[in-house]
Amino acid sequence: MDNCTGHSHFLLSAFLLTCLFGLSLGTELSFVTCGSVVKLLNVKHNVRLHSHDVRYGSGSGQQSVTGVTTVEDSNSYWSVRGTSGAQCHRGTPIKCGQTIRLTHVNTGRNLHSHYFSSPLSSNQEVSAFGEEGEGDHLDEWTVQCGGAVWQREEAVRFQHASTDALLSITGEQYGRPIHGQREVHAMMGPSQHSLWRAMEGVYMKPSESPLGNKDYSHPLHTEF
Amino acid sequence: MNLRRDFYKILGVSKSASVRDIKKAYRKLALQLHPDRNQDDPTAADKFADLGSAYEVLSDEEKRKQYDAYGEDGLKEGHHGSHNDIFSSFFGDFGFMFGGNRQGQQDRNIPRGNDIVLDLEVTLEEVYSGNFVEVVRNKPVAKEAPGKRKCNCRQEMRTTQLGPGRFQMSQEVVCDECPNIKLVNEERTLEVEIEQGVRDEMEYPFIGEGEPHIDGEPGDLRFRIKVMKHPVFERRGDDLYTNVTISLVEALVGFEMDITHLDGHKVHIVRDKITKPGARVWKKGEGLPNFDNNNIRGSLIVSFDVEFPETQLNDNQKEGVRAILKQASVQKVYNGLQGY
Repeated sequence: MDNCTGHSHFLLSAFLLTCLFGLSLGTELSFVTCGSVVKLLNVKHNVRLHSHDVRYGSGSGQQSVTGVTTVEDSNSYWSVRGTSGAQCHRGTPIKCGQTIRLTHVNTGRNLHSHYFSSPLSSNQEVSAFGEEGEGDHLDEWTVQCGGAVWQREEAVRFQHASTDALLSITGEQYGRPIHGQREVHAMMGPSQHSLWRAMEGVYMKPSESPLGNKDYSHPLHTEF
Repeated sequence: MNLRRDFYKILGVSKSASVRDIKKAYRKLALQLHPDRNQDDPTAADKFADLGSAYEVLSDEEKRKQYDAYGEDGLKEGHHGSHNDIFSSFFGDFGFMFGGNRQGQQDRNIPRGNDIVLDLEVTLEEVYSGNFVEVVRNKPVAKEAPGKRKCNCRQEMRTTQLGPGRFQMSQEVVCDECPNIKLVNEERTLEVEIEQGVRDEMEYPFIGEGEPHIDGEPGDLRFRIKVMKHPVFERRGDDLYTNVTISLVEALVGFEMDITHLDGHKVHIVRDKITKPGARVWKKGEGLPNFDNNNIRGSLIVSFDVEFPETQLNDNQKEGVRAILKQASVQKVYNGLQGY
């Protein structure tokens, strides 16, 4: 269906180009929204953020978080959610500077960091923590990006709210049983190693609330 | 092909139907009219095509305006997406499932990508009125590429003869040759319906929208409904519970009030008798629609509690109260906990 002309207020200049190229590239959603489930690619090392039911053998002993090269791994999906304090309605675009939680879909644990040492590089350990999406304040990360909202095409950084360290990969690889997977840790100071992009996934579009005028609906005009 | 089709009639909706009504009608009818499900009906393919065209026009603001003004003849271009595209945005890539089983599943040796199960948070307002959630699914799709690739790699024991009566067994990796495939990211919009009365944990599957498998078929994407807590209403089955605090005066002399329901309509409550703390008003038909039959609704149960005035009474006022209420002193002592 041709929706390129119907909703012009969704268009940004880059998106206008993808619209001209046809349906397979662009659809009407150029930003990441609350409730979306995404795979995050580390731009420099070309691996996706991943977790699984394997615990660190050192440090906190919590569930490990790694970077994997496989594109089609269902253990690489993370749900973008608000913090336990500030509710985030489904379909609302994530603003730059907003604090979020990233919940690992298959295990229900949140991306988490704390003052433990990572096993290979001795940076700050990043783990997956909590049960059924609920952990603690160390699960909170601030999205750092250039514009007003988190654009899907953009490489962004995730800053750990409590320690200010940035989610990164510097290339160290694990041996068995997770051979070839990269260590994910948090480091101070922005670099090429801490840039991430939202890739495959299921992105929630802003919904009109059934009432049309209640608090829950997000205004459809999003000229960012 | 008849070019004077009444699209509203085909979908069974009124001229003033909202986009949501149209999506809901399409989804319901598409399952019924799909040719695979009506193999004895020679007109099934046409009916299904008509349904697809009706949806395509009425769900698009521009096309609907043109159609309303000029009829089908007045529609500018030909139809874009195929009818299967429209169908798959509601149900997924492999189109069809009867009672949860995929067609052609005899050969269980075809490897399958992982299923993805996602929690979809819905509000009680959406459970009451229904809604459609549009999601954009970006996924890798297998595309043919030039050349060949190794597939079905496995370890095999090979026996080689070194000489008369001497053999050596070794393990070797043996692969087949398959057409080369590369994974290319594509995206499409899916329509997830939040049906009226939907319950927690109910799932809406989209066939083939899960993880791809380079040697086989993709898995499925399933949305699992999670109904969020509501600040005003509590759900129990099809019934809704809510609490209202009234003043002591209102409790004694009566009152009139409105409760704003999930879709904005007002539920009117009138009390002219005394309302005791814990009293309940039962409003039939003001609960949630039943999932299996939307015409049946549960009840709204309103429980009242009483807020006493803050100010203390002086002696005159105390006399006044005794005089008006004329209630004898009670002072009944009893065990209220009884084991709790």
